[in-house]
Amino acid sequence: MDFGYTPEQETLRREVQEFIAEHVTDDVLGELETAEEGGRGVHYRELIRKVAERQWIGISWPKEYGGQGGSRIEQYIVEEEFARLGIAVGGAGSGAPAILAAGTEEQKRHFIPGLISGEIIFALGFTEPQAGADLAGLQCRAVRDGDEYVINGQKMYTSAAHYATHIYLMARTDPDAPRHRGISIFLVPMDAPGITVRPLWTIQSDPPAPIGTTYGMARTNETFFEDVRVPASMMLGEENSGWYVGAMGLNLDRVGASRYLISVRRDEDIVNWVKENDFGGHSPADDPAVRDKLAELWTEAQVCRLMTMRSMSLVERGGNFTYEGSAEKVWAPEHGVHTTETITQILGPYAQLLSSSEEAIENGLFAHNVMGAFQSGINHGSVQVMRDQMARRGLGMPRG
Amino acid sequence: MAKDPVCGKEIDEAQARAQTSQTVHGASEVDPQQGTRIFHDGSWIYFCGLECRTRFLASPATYTSD
Repeated sequence: MDFGYTPEQETLRREVQEFIAEHVTDDVLGELETAEEGGRGVHYRELIRKVAERQWIGISWPKEYGGQGGSRIEQYIVEEEFARLGIAVGGAGSGAPAILAAGTEEQKRHFIPGLISGEIIFALGFTEPQAGADLAGLQCRAVRDGDEYVINGQKMYTSAAHYATHIYLMARTDPDAPRHRGISIFLVPMDAPGITVRPLWTIQSDPPAPIGTTYGMARTNETFFEDVRVPASMMLGEENSGWYVGAMGLNLDRVGASRYLISVRRDEDIVNWVKENDFGGHSPADDPAVRDKLAELWTEAQVCRLMTMRSMSLVERGGNFTYEGSAEKVWAPEHGVHTTETITQILGPYAQLLSSSEEAIENGLFAHNVMGAFQSGINHGSVQVMRDQMARRGLGMPRG
Repeated sequence: MAKDPVCGKEIDEAQARAQTSQTVHGASEVDPQQGTRIFHDGSWIYFCGLECRTRFLASPATYTSD
């Protein structure tokens, strides 16, 4: 079995790298440092327009909705090169795959081209203060009223709410049904009357995390819904099927370059730093303990990559894709934490110096990563929940 | 005025909900210093901040019984 790339795919990678060198300017990178629009200012939007012109966004998505009808691996190559700079090219998140799988024709034609162009941005509205890992305990209510639903409740960690056009919202539509069977998903415009956003500033906000920090979001939000009316046509999938639609979308979103790179980017960074630095004739690359640790990380990272490739292969062939994504979501974040621990050991006290310190290494990138890496095992499905899914779906064990 | 059921502090509901700015795409933004809230059993309960709300959520019955 060959896990390498074809000559055509290698050519595509080089083309993307050349494009990035020419078009990802300091202006674009400067915008990425701002939190107010999620880094999506005028220069960023112009970049995405050029990427779309090259037909590199939504490569594997259907042509009738603005995609290219191409292969998932080619999309991965493009996403990987941009993700190294912290740039998500088109439709990142679980909303788009969920719409493609469960949306009406009208929803697909409205949302998918907009997600590709960047004109539509989703905030994820699943987690609540009392319903995170136990998401099925959510209390946000949606009550049918004629051709509309009326939504009351709140969502937590809606990190894109301050620059999103819509919120991809999970709400309870049947409070009397078993917990997983009374939930629906809605695509709600952020400018709908009754939506309120309360900012929450994270440990990455002051001093600001440098570009490329793993989970470097400076701002997140909680979002409140008071008698928010949304047309019934904005329900995604059948009423009370939202749990399954949402889980499927989350699963598909766990496949791809962004998720992979979140956990392995620092591996590449620390290897480069170790090789490039010399302290009075002594290079950390000569230290057997450092070499041993980095080789260990490389081995783990290869497992991340192989799991990613397997999942993409399953998706490409339309295979049954359930616990495989959960396995990735356990292995990769725990590897990221291991990498963080290793970097802390290699750099010693320098691993504690944030971006505001003049003596910080790589502008504090590694230190900010120490603060952010641990949440990767919690958000977007905690590793404990993922292991439970693997036990049930992969090993055939009963629901606990 | 509402009363934080955990610490007893008075919360001005209007201030907690008052729009101070708008997001890029038109949602109201509020001042986080004015407290937070939760939709609980069909009505909004106000808190001075996340810590009190977290304590409430850990044991709602402790704070809602007469």
